[in-house]
Amino acid sequence: MHDILIRLIAGTGALLGGLTLLIAFNKASREALDRRRRALLEPVIYEYANASGHRAIHDYLPKPLSRRDRRLAEAVLLDAASVVKGESRDRITAAFEALGSVRHSILHLRSQRWWKRAEAAERLGLMRSRAAVEPLVAAMNDPVGEVRIRAARALGIIRGSASIRPLVLALTDPSRWSAIRVAEILIGTGAEAVEELLAAYDSLPHHARISALDVLGRIRSLKAAGLIRKALKDPSPDIRARAANALGHVGDPGFAADLTDTLRDPEWPVRAMAAKALGRVGGRSAIAALCEAIKDRQWWVRSNAAEALRLLGPAGRDALVRMLDADDTYARHQAVAQLEEGRIIDEYLADLASADPARRESAIGFVEKIIRLERVDHLTQQAIDHAQEGVRLALLKILQRPPQGAS
Amino acid sequence: MGGEQARILIVDDDPIIRRFVGTLLAHNGYEVHEAEDGEAGLRMAASLLPRLVVLDLVMPYKDGFEVINGLKDDPSTRLIPILILSVKDREEDVVKALNLGADDYMIKPFSTQELLARIRKILERTAQGGRGA
Repeated sequence: MHDILIRLIAGTGALLGGLTLLIAFNKASREALDRRRRALLEPVIYEYANASGHRAIHDYLPKPLSRRDRRLAEAVLLDAASVVKGESRDRITAAFEALGSVRHSILHLRSQRWWKRAEAAERLGLMRSRAAVEPLVAAMNDPVGEVRIRAARALGIIRGSASIRPLVLALTDPSRWSAIRVAEILIGTGAEAVEELLAAYDSLPHHARISALDVLGRIRSLKAAGLIRKALKDPSPDIRARAANALGHVGDPGFAADLTDTLRDPEWPVRAMAAKALGRVGGRSAIAALCEAIKDRQWWVRSNAAEALRLLGPAGRDALVRMLDADDTYARHQAVAQLEEGRIIDEYLADLASADPARRESAIGFVEKIIRLERVDHLTQQAIDHAQEGVRLALLKILQRPPQGAS
Repeated sequence: MGGEQARILIVDDDPIIRRFVGTLLAHNGYEVHEAEDGEAGLRMAASLLPRLVVLDLVMPYKDGFEVINGLKDDPSTRLIPILILSVKDREEDVVKALNLGADDYMIKPFSTQELLARIRKILERTAQGGRGA
């Protein structure tokens, strides 16, 4: 009995081993054949993609085209699709259509298995065929989120108004879509999304308008400037804040006046966004208004206004230095923080060892102001760490002096 | 081409790019050679002395910037023009490559017609100036 059992186990083991070897051999030979066929197909497909005539893909491929060759041709075309643009890219799309790959993937969008639907949506995006737009729009209502988002991405790649419109509408349904992911797809479509967003904006609900303003800002299209400026006067403070942020992203210096006005908005989040945006937009005309905004009763507004001044170049930096003498304590502290952040303090510190007495005196006066504001952490550290001994000694001497007058 | 088969070396770790660009150039009358990384690229450039190197920036062992430096440091290859073909689209990468001595820069995905036109222009320019092998 024991002997029979051992033979049975050994026989089963040998059978399983044999089967495994057979499967491995079969797989290896299929892969080897795939490689050989691919090596034959690749040059003719690349030749087709790089040609400028009217010959179709079938004129380049062997006839009749086996299922294996069709699959390999599709794989070669998908690889090539990711490296080229322009006429060659259009010819690759035409090849997908001629080979039936588009039709095949559209059929897979109706598969029972969700991952097959998701894969098909992704492939259709790479194929970029306009014929896939309608089925992909339908796939945006798929019960599985992953399929919906891949269909949305595919539409973003295909572009064109028919593709972009459903993406804009997707911004309106936060229960089924992540607004951030849809917004990123729309941003990726660039200028093409602007017209659709402008056309749809008034019909969008409140939360979708906020996303639309973000997208318009990130696309940085001047075409949207009129709508965004109008949104600065919207009754909703959320909309006004996003509009200010969007103008900052578009970044045209012509927006400085609108944003300067917005610094007087009754709601502090709007004022904070306007201050931040002014740092991006630039323009010396904003400096006086930002100096006032540093005295705002809300910390975020003060902080953003001080940062904006630092980003406005030499004129903004000079304004920050002048703010050290401001009446407002918070404004003085914000100015010090930004002078530290922008390493402007370090430029003054270097002058402590200057051979020019005027520069040295100016640096001493500057350091004394910082000390009077009791913001000495950075100075104390530099008195220990600064690379120049002359600076370290001069700084130490100033720090050890008794305070001259309180701020 | 004027009957001349200009020799071009493609240095890219992506076989798809090498084969795609190689087929494109070969069909347009160029003699094409391929190197799969920066080190092989430098070796082949020194031995083949091509009229042009089409160079990727992101590669193992030696990246494209190091290859430009290597080509410019070697007296036998320093005059070979270099066209960068890279996914890197940041301004600082473009400026760095051009400052190091690259002659042109194209971003992937690329237009094949534009690539051919740029290659033609570089070869014309260097032929007039007597540069390259």
